[in-house]
Amino acid sequence: MRKLLFFIPFALFIGLSMFLFSGLFSDPRQHGSALVERQLPQFQLPDLMQPTKLLTADELKGEPYFLNVWGTWCPTCNAELAFLTQLRQQGVRIVGLYYVQPLDAAFGETFDLPALQKDVQQKLGEQGNPYQFNLLDEHRTLIFDLGVSGAPETFLVDADGVIRAHHVGDINPQNWPALAEAYQQLVRK
Amino acid sequence: MRIVMLLLCFFTTLPLLAAEEILPFADPKQQALFRELTHELRCPKCQNQNIADSNAVVAVDMRKKTYELVQQGQDKAQVIEYMKLRYGDFVHYQPPLQLSTIWLWLLPALLVLGMGVFVVRKNNQQQLLVNEDVSSELDAELQAMIDEATVKPNTGDKPA
Repeated sequence: MRKLLFFIPFALFIGLSMFLFSGLFSDPRQHGSALVERQLPQFQLPDLMQPTKLLTADELKGEPYFLNVWGTWCPTCNAELAFLTQLRQQGVRIVGLYYVQPLDAAFGETFDLPALQKDVQQKLGEQGNPYQFNLLDEHRTLIFDLGVSGAPETFLVDADGVIRAHHVGDINPQNWPALAEAYQQLVRK
Repeated sequence: MRIVMLLLCFFTTLPLLAAEEILPFADPKQQALFRELTHELRCPKCQNQNIADSNAVVAVDMRKKTYELVQQGQDKAQVIEYMKLRYGDFVHYQPPLQLSTIWLWLLPALLVLGMGVFVVRKNNQQQLLVNEDVSSELDAELQAMIDEATVKPNTGDKPA
C-alpha cells in the first residue's frame, strides 16, 4: 500500500506530461464552431459579377455545396484556388463568399466594385475558377453571422441549407479526404 | 539627459492615445457596459487578446457590433449570447459550467482538500514520533535509575 502511494507523484507527472504533449499537436485555430448543425443564416447579397442580382439563403438550397470564404488579398486563399478548381472539375459544387476587407475612409479608401471585379477575374484567370458564382459581402454581415474569423474558411452546407461542417484554413490534398467523405454522404442522400 | 529621455517618452505616447477610436455615448452606463464587454469578449482570430486590445478585422467588427447592440439597449447577457451564437464559447473569457469544463472548478478544490488531508496526516504522524521519542528517553532514564538502584547494594555494601 505504501509502495503504491510512493508512485502517485510519478503517475501525476506522466499524466500531466501526456496532456501537455498532446497540446503540442493540437491546432489552436480549431476551437469548434457554433454554426454546425444549424441553418445557414438568412442573407440577401449581390452576385459579385452581376451586382443587380440579389441572392438569398433559400436560393442556394437544392443540392449540397461548399461555401468558401476568400479574397484576392489573402495568400492562402489564392494558394487553394488551383486545388478547388480540380474539385470543381470532379463535380463538386463550390460557391464563393467574397470577403471585402475594411476600408479606411481616413486614408481615402472607397469601395470600387469595377476594380474589384477586374482583380477577381484576373486572379481566377491565373489560378483557375472553382466557383459557380461569388456572393459579395461588402460589410461582412453574412461573414459575421457565420462566425468567420479570417480567410480562408469553408462551410459544408447540405441540400436543406443546414451547415454540416466548418473548416478553418485552406483545403488541400491532405485534409480533403475527410471533407470529401462528408460531402459524398450528403450527395448520396 | 534623463529629463530629455523622460520628455521624449512623454511626447511619443501622446499620438498613441489619440489613435483610439472615439465612440459617442449618450448614457455613461452604456459606455461602462461597452468597456466591460470589449474587455471580456475574446478575439477569435488572436490566441489570447480581448477585442478591446486587438485590431484584427474580426475584432474591429465585433467592437462595432457590440457598440450597435449596446446602443440598442441590449444588456450584457444578451450581447454575450449574440456573440456566442456566432463565434462559440471561445469568444467569452468566462467559460460556461459544463461536464467538460467542470474540472476547472473541481480540480483546485480537490487539490486544496488533498493538501489539507496530507498536512493533517503528516502532523499527526510527527506528533506520534515525538511522543515515542520522549517515552523512550524516559524509559532509558528510568532503566538507568533502576540499574543504579539494583547494582548499588552489591558494590556499596563493601566497606572501603
